[in-house]
Amino acid sequence: MKTTLAVLLALGISMTAVPAYAHHSFAAEFDATKPVKLVGKITRVEWSNPHTYFYVDVADAKGKVTNWSIEGPSPGALSRRGWKKDDLKVGDHVTVVGYRAKDGSNLADGRLVTLADGRTLYGGSPGDGGPGDNGTDQGDLSGINPGK
Amino acid sequence: MPVLQHLCQLLYDSQIGTAIRESNVTFPVIESAHVLSITLVFGTIAVLDLRLLGLVLRAIPVNKVARSVLPLTWTGFAVSLVTGFLLFWAEAAKVYWNPAFRAKLVLLALVGLNPLIFHTTIYRRVEEWGHLRVLPWRARAAAVASLMLWSGVIIAGRAIAYFT
Amino acid sequence: MSLHGWFMALAHSPLGHAMQTSKWDFAVVEMVHLLALALLGGSVLVIDLRLLGVILKGELAWEIGRDLGRVVTGSLVVMVLSGIALLSEEAGKCYYSPAFRWKMALLAGAVLFYFTLHRSALQQTGRGRPTTWAKMAAIISLALWLGVGIAGRAIGLL
Repeated sequence: MKTTLAVLLALGISMTAVPAYAHHSFAAEFDATKPVKLVGKITRVEWSNPHTYFYVDVADAKGKVTNWSIEGPSPGALSRRGWKKDDLKVGDHVTVVGYRAKDGSNLADGRLVTLADGRTLYGGSPGDGGPGDNGTDQGDLSGINPGK
Repeated sequence: MPVLQHLCQLLYDSQIGTAIRESNVTFPVIESAHVLSITLVFGTIAVLDLRLLGLVLRAIPVNKVARSVLPLTWTGFAVSLVTGFLLFWAEAAKVYWNPAFRAKLVLLALVGLNPLIFHTTIYRRVEEWGHLRVLPWRARAAAVASLMLWSGVIIAGRAIAYFT
Repeated sequence: MSLHGWFMALAHSPLGHAMQTSKWDFAVVEMVHLLALALLGGSVLVIDLRLLGVILKGELAWEIGRDLGRVVTGSLVVMVLSGIALLSEEAGKCYYSPAFRWKMALLAGAVLFYFTLHRSALQQTGRGRPTTWAKMAAIISLALWLGVGIAGRAIGLL
């Protein structure tokens, strides 16, 4: 049918536009075999739709500093888990336990974030399959292995 | 900084842009209305396009189908435009660099050009051919172009998320 | 097997693995899902507006329903198939998602209604103006399908 052909053609042409990086569920973007524990100072916060990000300067054992980006869901989704925009401020010391992006970049998902005031927040979604997932939006924090 | 990029940065930094971008509910609602409006825009114009291709509603003259469908399409387009502009306002500085967004704008321009050509040429004589079993090739070509271009707009729109 | 078991089986199936690991598959499947959504929604709208007596007045309601019904059923098939593929990529999340459960319930309702009461309302309307019942059928149909769309959006937002 002509319409089907037309639609398939359009699809085919635009398939070339889709880049290597594609994101959605935990399994598709992050690597459960690459846990990370990042301790450092927040350098930037993007409390934005459709995804939130905050950036942390992490010093390794030798003192070399790398900047990591931590990805989270939308502000609305985080608010429903008890996060507030002001919980993350530039200069705050935080500890992030999460899993590294599959492409090996300095990107991780913030499954467990310990804020400057000592509170711990869970950043996963119910059923997303990542560590700590117990089907609720509070997560099972005991199971998360901080790694290095 | 190029003027356009500067304008995008102004929009992005503005109070309204920031408020939408950092909102809990507003952004999701605007985005959802934008996504669902494709049924009003593409879904209804597709009915006219399928009629022009002689695949549906053959018993109904073309101009009657057009009269019924086009108001729906225009309403949907108004919703898409307003919600789309608000989304753009919130993300302007970031989306300026986005190749999928740029492609979407180009396709939108083309998809507007198509009916312009159609309506000022072949459609002028719709009374002559609107009831025929097989419609003029120009009408059918406009229909195929419409379906492809709108599909392209929707696909490019979805691809925006993959370039951030 | 429990319902959760079925979801996990889908996630661990070859389809699930392909969708979870491929860089392109999810994007393309989602785009197909979206295009089919637009076509389904547009045709349902035109059919139901005829049923409400707002557009295409004087034309045979059941013929409009039959012709555009082919677009509806075709799009529905594409959406179910692409939907299963999308589900296989995030089965766990969907299992626990109230939005997903609502979507499935509304979808079942919409499809059931479409093939039964809605169909008979179209057949009864003929060329004339719709009865009160026909108008109600149109509104129920529009509400159900809109609900499916909104619930679908909510899956990704909650």
